[in-house]
Amino acid sequence: MQRQTTVMRAVLNSRLFWLIVAAVAIGLMPIIFTDSYWRTNLIVCAINVMLAIGLDFILGYAGQLNLGQSAFYGIGAYVSTLLIMKLGVPFWIAFGCGVLLSGIAGMLLSLFAVRLRGHYLAIASLGFAVITYQILVNWISLTQGPLGIYAIPPPPALQLPGLPIIDFKNLANLFYLTAGFAFLAYLLLDQLVRSPIGETLTAIREDEVSAASLGINCQAWKVFAFAVGSSVAGAAGCFYASFVGTLVPDAFFITESFTILAMVIVGGMGTLIGPVWGAILLTVLPELLRGVGDLRLIIYGVAVTLVVLFMPGGMVQAARFIAAYFRSLLPGRGAGA
Amino acid sequence: MLSVLLQQGINGIVVGSLYVLVALGLTLIYGVLVQINFAHADIVTLGAFAAYFFTFVLGGNYLASIAVALVVGAALGWLMNALIFAPLRNRGNELLPLIATIGVSIMLQNTMLAWFGPIPFAFDTPYSNDVIRVAGMFFTIQSVLIIVVSTATIGLLYAFMKFTFLGKALRAVSQDRETAGLMGINPNQLIMLTFVIASALAGMGGAMLGPVLVLTPFAGTSVIVKAFAIVIIGGFGNVEGTIIAGLLVGLIESYTTQFLDPGLIDIVVFALLLLTLALRPTGLIAEKREENV
Amino acid sequence: MTIKPTIRHFTGAAIAAMIVAGSVNAVFAADKTIKIGALLPMSGPGSYFGAQDKQGIELALEQLNKSGVNGFKFEVQYEDSACSPLPATQAAKRLLEQYKPDVAIGEECSDATLAIMPIMEQAKVPFVNAGSSSIKITEPGNPWTFRIMPNEVMQGVDIATNAYKKLNARTAVLLYENTNAGIGNAKVFSETFTKLGGKILADIGFGRDVNDFTSIATRIAGVGKVDVIPTYTLEGQGLKITQALAQAGVTKGGGGQSIQLGTIWLPFGFEQKAGKAALGYVRIVQFDPTDKREIVRGFIQAFKAKYNQDPTHLHAHAYDQIILIADVVRRGAKDAQSIRDGLAATKGFSGVTGSVEFDKTNQNIKMDTIHYMETLPDLSWKAHGWN
Repeated sequence: MQRQTTVMRAVLNSRLFWLIVAAVAIGLMPIIFTDSYWRTNLIVCAINVMLAIGLDFILGYAGQLNLGQSAFYGIGAYVSTLLIMKLGVPFWIAFGCGVLLSGIAGMLLSLFAVRLRGHYLAIASLGFAVITYQILVNWISLTQGPLGIYAIPPPPALQLPGLPIIDFKNLANLFYLTAGFAFLAYLLLDQLVRSPIGETLTAIREDEVSAASLGINCQAWKVFAFAVGSSVAGAAGCFYASFVGTLVPDAFFITESFTILAMVIVGGMGTLIGPVWGAILLTVLPELLRGVGDLRLIIYGVAVTLVVLFMPGGMVQAARFIAAYFRSLLPGRGAGA
Repeated sequence: MLSVLLQQGINGIVVGSLYVLVALGLTLIYGVLVQINFAHADIVTLGAFAAYFFTFVLGGNYLASIAVALVVGAALGWLMNALIFAPLRNRGNELLPLIATIGVSIMLQNTMLAWFGPIPFAFDTPYSNDVIRVAGMFFTIQSVLIIVVSTATIGLLYAFMKFTFLGKALRAVSQDRETAGLMGINPNQLIMLTFVIASALAGMGGAMLGPVLVLTPFAGTSVIVKAFAIVIIGGFGNVEGTIIAGLLVGLIESYTTQFLDPGLIDIVVFALLLLTLALRPTGLIAEKREENV
Repeated sequence: MTIKPTIRHFTGAAIAAMIVAGSVNAVFAADKTIKIGALLPMSGPGSYFGAQDKQGIELALEQLNKSGVNGFKFEVQYEDSACSPLPATQAAKRLLEQYKPDVAIGEECSDATLAIMPIMEQAKVPFVNAGSSSIKITEPGNPWTFRIMPNEVMQGVDIATNAYKKLNARTAVLLYENTNAGIGNAKVFSETFTKLGGKILADIGFGRDVNDFTSIATRIAGVGKVDVIPTYTLEGQGLKITQALAQAGVTKGGGGQSIQLGTIWLPFGFEQKAGKAALGYVRIVQFDPTDKREIVRGFIQAFKAKYNQDPTHLHAHAYDQIILIADVVRRGAKDAQSIRDGLAATKGFSGVTGSVEFDKTNQNIKMDTIHYMETLPDLSWKAHGWN
């Protein structure tokens, strides 16, 4: 009995186990949700998960309050789309360019803001987001501005040896692609966070002066965190464009940055799994509330406020609380265990 | 051309003085609490609606409606602090109130939408369409009123901050918490006072912005982004800086419209903001909060 | 198309409804339902459109369902498409999956309409639009999308030509919101007007968050003699612009010479809100409340009785979308495919906003939906019979 629970706890605590669970869950989603409406929502969830974990890496781990996530998202979307639509560049090369340029934009913003902290950085990044949005609106000869870009094709079909052609016009396949990338991004960030780099970033977040005294090049690491987090947002942007098929600057207005920030906070900042749940909740909740009609966004606003008021650690904290409760119910454990 | 330049100067100062009223509230709250109230914009909107309904539904005087909006704003500020900011104080994460107020903002906007509907209210005051023309220039009595009322309000606030004990205490807290503690001031009451003053200014600003901007439940959001910029350019928590920056942004708006394109206003304002941050990270005007650099 | 099982009607509520309706036969005759999906912006600033469209739709339903059409009743399910491509995509898919409409109507914002169109085409559900002006909607055209309002090219060419020929305008200042519709319409005006020999003195685009139009009016006052100021904006900013232009002494309302030219977008009642600043404003309207046709008189009367207010063009074109569908059903359509074919074959349909006949891109080619109006000193309209 005792051994059984020990094994069970070891399994529950093992990272590999949860990664397998997540992979299986992703695999099952389009099988459970067969209609195109919910499959659409699944893809939106995957895109938002990328945005949220990218921001969390910058904010939750490196401690940099970044309100420019909407700009990186937009840069990824516009760069890849313009390359595909104007120059006929193949999707995956355009995708790479979008990710790269978002990352470079993140680095530049971080280099610029390297002396700033706290809310000053927040507003500098907000300023960056406002300017990026305004450029998308005003540079009509390049971006079409509010006139929009339409009929953006989905990613080209994949022909893998020994497999049938994978067509991304099919929403299930497109979900596997975006969710697969979100999963990869998660793995990458998770690996970074668990490596010495993660400790370095946390040290900078906790106390920059002490970190510097330990010989850590704080500025370089902050730039690194920004580059990584903004590249992930850029990838989300590329998928957004090829999935929705329509691109207008309004999708990347600064309020989008606050929505992404809310996903991170509601999920639980400073953990990677928290923002995943936060992104899913804040994507699905407004859809589930469609049934209530005009009250929909009022309830949504109240819900966000209440979550913050009563679960300041986000959904992760709530989950830990519940998990601790259930663990205490497991047999063979003393009160003090 | 000179008259056009002067005219645009006046236009900029009228709009700028309204921005000052909104931005002052943000900067006061930031100064004392180092926190951002995202729903500040909606207090502006609610102030505008309070003035509208007082004038057009209850048949009140427009000048009195400014006072009504001020009271409504003050009450909302009190509620905002009591329900959101006070419970979240000392929870460790400085972002919690920001996110909570985003939730409040979504709720308030959509509640207003349910009540007032999306169709813009035509909020013409008795002074809106009275035009004075002098030397090739024009202004409405409403814009004269805006300048007089906001100058008086800002002057009163300034005197309060400079010369009264409470005002000095507020400044003390925003500059140095520990000193404030030594002065024997209850910080909780001071924070409450700050919220009430800040939101009263926003409500009052709303009563005067209502006739200027397109009055819908989303009216305040068009002002708040600029208010953020003003607060930074002026230096977070710095009252004098905010006043100057507010007028400056108003002037940028009118001169950008004249010489470039109104679509570029935000780019110019935020480019100035980034420039300010690059050159003088504590704001254009003062260097008070050294610890942020 | 769904045919509801008759057994459903043997519930207490349904029987009570029949008695209230006063006609048991009518209910049984109208056993079948045409399901209409309405994709409208119901949240955010775009709800300006959705809220009014909904009133027009509800009125049409109330009238049609009194007796039904060819044994069909009409039912509408609303989804909030939020005036934006992604929410519009989600709303459209939800509508198709969960409601399974026979026909859909909607969106006002061109970006959202364009995002919805391929989804409707894929699902083979006809989609009727009455409020988006982008040329891309019908150029090259989509077999499942029908637009009953004149597009930006039809409107812009017409306004520019009339400005040049009827108003003898030679100089213009373009004033438009930085949106799909604003930029698109202003561009067409500019091209046509310049080709005719007119001159554009200034080209001023502004965001929807611009608060004060005094600066813009000051700038226009400084550019010299302006004959016309084509203005592409919605009611809220439109009011501020008209008042600011009068205050600056640019337009007739403020003692100046310039004539403001307006679009379909401004509602009936705009002049009353703007006051004497609106004097001399010449604009096209999609719906003319002074129209003597019986359908218009009936619509206005019924609308006032139901809502105790005057209808706008948004109410009118939403109403027209429903009665156009009803007309197609009257001609024998009963499911998505036959409604599509019926729409394409529409001839001589006369709605509140005007008549409808589609070309091969499914664009309504009847220009009588455009009426030119000039605002008189008593703020009433004088109709210019330019079309």
